[in-house]
Amino acid sequence: MSASPWKRLKQSEAFNGYVMVSPTLIYAILMLAAPLGMIVAYSFFKDGYLEVIHEFTFENYIQAWTDPIFQAILFRSVLVSMLVTLVTVVLAFPIAYFISFVVPAQKKSLWLFLITIPFWTSYLIRVFQWKVILNYNGVINSILTGLGIVDQPLQMLNSVGAITVTLAHAYAPFAILPIFVSLEKIDRSFLEAGRDLGESPFMTFWRVTLPLAMPGVVGAVMIVFIPTIGDYVTPELIGGGKLPMVANMIQQNMLKIDNKPLGSAIAVSSMLVVAVIALVFLFLNRRFLRGPK
Amino acid sequence: MKSPGLRLFAFAYLIFLYAPIVLLPIFAFNSGTIIAFPLKGFTLHWFDQLFSNATLGQALRNSLIIAVSTAIFATTLGIFAARASTRYRFPGKPGIMGLIMLPLVLPEIIVAVSLLIVLLGIGVPLSIFTVILGHVLAATPYAIAVLNAAFSSLDKSLEEAAYDLGETKWSTFRLITLPLVLPGIVSSMLMAFTISLDEFIIAFFLAGEQVTLPTYIFSQLRFPKQIPMIMALGTCLVIASIVLLTIAEYARRRGIAKTGAKDTGGFL
Amino acid sequence: MTIKTASDRPTMIEFREVQKYYGDYHALRGISAEIRAGEFFSLLGPSGCGKTTLLRTIAGFEDISSGAVLIDGKDMSNVPANKRPTNMVFQSYAIFPHLTVAENVGFGLRRDPRSSAEKARAVEEALELVGLKGYGPRAAHAMSGGQRQRVALARALILKPKVLLLDEPMSALDKKIREQMQVELIKLQRELGITFVLVTHDQEEALVMSDRIAVMFDGEIAQLADPETLYRHPNSRRVANFIGVMNFLPARVTAESDSHVALEVPGLGPLEVTPDQVAAQTSGGEATVGFRPETLTLLYEGQTASDREAPGVIDEVVYYGDMTYYDIRLDGVSAPVRISMRNVFGRPVLDVGSRIRVAWSPGALVLFR
Repeated sequence: MSASPWKRLKQSEAFNGYVMVSPTLIYAILMLAAPLGMIVAYSFFKDGYLEVIHEFTFENYIQAWTDPIFQAILFRSVLVSMLVTLVTVVLAFPIAYFISFVVPAQKKSLWLFLITIPFWTSYLIRVFQWKVILNYNGVINSILTGLGIVDQPLQMLNSVGAITVTLAHAYAPFAILPIFVSLEKIDRSFLEAGRDLGESPFMTFWRVTLPLAMPGVVGAVMIVFIPTIGDYVTPELIGGGKLPMVANMIQQNMLKIDNKPLGSAIAVSSMLVVAVIALVFLFLNRRFLRGPK
Repeated sequence: MKSPGLRLFAFAYLIFLYAPIVLLPIFAFNSGTIIAFPLKGFTLHWFDQLFSNATLGQALRNSLIIAVSTAIFATTLGIFAARASTRYRFPGKPGIMGLIMLPLVLPEIIVAVSLLIVLLGIGVPLSIFTVILGHVLAATPYAIAVLNAAFSSLDKSLEEAAYDLGETKWSTFRLITLPLVLPGIVSSMLMAFTISLDEFIIAFFLAGEQVTLPTYIFSQLRFPKQIPMIMALGTCLVIASIVLLTIAEYARRRGIAKTGAKDTGGFL
Repeated sequence: MTIKTASDRPTMIEFREVQKYYGDYHALRGISAEIRAGEFFSLLGPSGCGKTTLLRTIAGFEDISSGAVLIDGKDMSNVPANKRPTNMVFQSYAIFPHLTVAENVGFGLRRDPRSSAEKARAVEEALELVGLKGYGPRAAHAMSGGQRQRVALARALILKPKVLLLDEPMSALDKKIREQMQVELIKLQRELGITFVLVTHDQEEALVMSDRIAVMFDGEIAQLADPETLYRHPNSRRVANFIGVMNFLPARVTAESDSHVALEVPGLGPLEVTPDQVAAQTSGGEATVGFRPETLTLLYEGQTASDREAPGVIDEVVYYGDMTYYDIRLDGVSAPVRISMRNVFGRPVLDVGSRIRVAWSPGALVLFR
């Protein structure tokens, strides 16, 4: 009288869920998980001339980590990423707060629209425009010398600062949106309750708004920090190739030098460093991420 | 007027956001060959040069083929994943969804390099097709994020009601689910299209001899002579993306008006 | 008001030992019951008791772990929801927001072979049935809560189901419209003669509307009876507590025979109850007697009790307009009992602290043991 086991299975929610997710999952396994696995495997292989020798070795890691250039590049990459993340998030928070708390409800989408438009225009050209702005004979120097504020144009390009400003610009919406979303979720009566219980506006912000917005801030930090460390274009264009980051080094080894095992080891190493920093950061903020959802 | 300080900061921030973009048309119409102030005079020469550039035409065609394919495939894969994540509970779901969404935070260079190794390893020649493979991977998480919102705002009992009234699972999807998530699907396709059109690193590694719009732009940026033309190209791209975004926003609002749903925010 | 369903009506729905697990969670623990044809049947219980799950096993949205659900004598285990002779009114009404009212109501007729003119007429008739004549061309999402419910009803009824399932249909409506819809639903059910199965957590709603009610707790049916039996003869303290208000006083059984049980109840004194006053389910705890607030009467100056009376002090007065509730501390009892008095003209509302007498009758008691 009752249904067969096969029919039971077919009707079960888990089975249907797996069937539904399978096309995307298979794609992700083939195109992402397997290649990532390959990179890890390659990083333990030996590099022969024009080919890769499938022999297990730690040689690549030893070579990478004892290389002062790699150390310097990795250090610079982490430093730039942290700086970019700090600048981006610190600038983004007041904007997200402004849109969520000050802008009237019917104008919020317009503001979000305004914030996201620059993000939808060519990344390469946006990065290059910062070169135009920061150049020796660029926009800022033209204004400064034109107004007589400086005699000599300032040398701003090819610096960590220039790279930071450019990346902070590129990742702005990625930081604003998660913070905005978590600010929007805050029940406004919490703030009234804070005020009602005798807190000043600043203390209400400090004790109520900020902790409740932290999941968004943490999300913003993650979504800016992790991809930034792998940015290739900005060091190339704004750093003038003189301040390479890990992505440039990976590209060098993979294409120009054609040492794929070493390139893989560098890629895996930098991903591990990023992962460790991200996990430490998440761990430090764990108390904000608990609770419902 | 509330919070004048914040308001001032917000406008300063907008200037920061828009400065690079506002400069584009200024130099695109400037007759000087060097990108610097003071401006020389008005010219349409750079646009002329732009539209008669055969390599650029080829790059644009390639990029459009890649972007349209990416939009379709990423959205299709996105529909499956968003549907699974909003409708079904199954063991291992956070891990599975985590893997699928990973390209959202993974630096693109890692995606590009690992795919390159596999493709070279199994002997797939690099072409537009391999770029599409990479772009679909990178755009799918964005598609899922958009589609998740569309699917989760869909009341489950609407589908049950249609099924209860005699429709099959497929006709329920066609008659109820699809029309109601259509604005989400349109948004998802536009987003995947734009991401693909703009993506540089993956195309740089996987396109082989083929040229796409971003790889072409990148190759030209080292020649000062070509910069004014790139400014003209940038101007066209900005206009195109504003038009596209406005259409997307309009479609979204119309979708909301049609079903009487609450406006829950912007395009992203 | 209640029309008793003739017990010889044929069975429409039969649950046979229905079990449902969600992983380790035991949602339905062996439900066996019958719902008769043409009956207005309610599943009543607190949230999480399994009532909605049970309803959804009838509709076919929930597969069962073991047992069987039969509709009109046919086992439904291999019949999917879209092939069952049931239709459902959802808690959220599930009105398709992208369609008009008429398209919503006519949704189920898509596979109907009739001509489109005939279908349009059927839609118009269904709308008329629920009092929405002429609303067809309107956008469904622009309708109010009460109107949406009517659309949902018309949409479910147009397919002439053998069973109409209603999942908390009134919970989203405000009080006035809810009461109006309750009356209309009863009328509609009588008119159509279709079996209605209603899920509700509102005991008053269940009492008002149903021919029979199944009270559910923790995935089991605690009691299945008509409203009057449920109210007067609850088979457990839990059911008694869930339906209406009941006062409980500890009791001591002093003697027991086939014809009566003798009790000693502090505050009321020695008394006897008949076996039909003893609740069917024994909980194993101490014996208690229960009585409804309206079975006690406050005696005013000069009045005498027709049966028995007990002295006490008014502890609390709650004025409801048509009624007044008195919490009274009977002499020798620490916990107050609640009495409800109708505020008939000329009857004063008494003050807290007044010494009063209460009239009561052993015949109105229920003994739980």
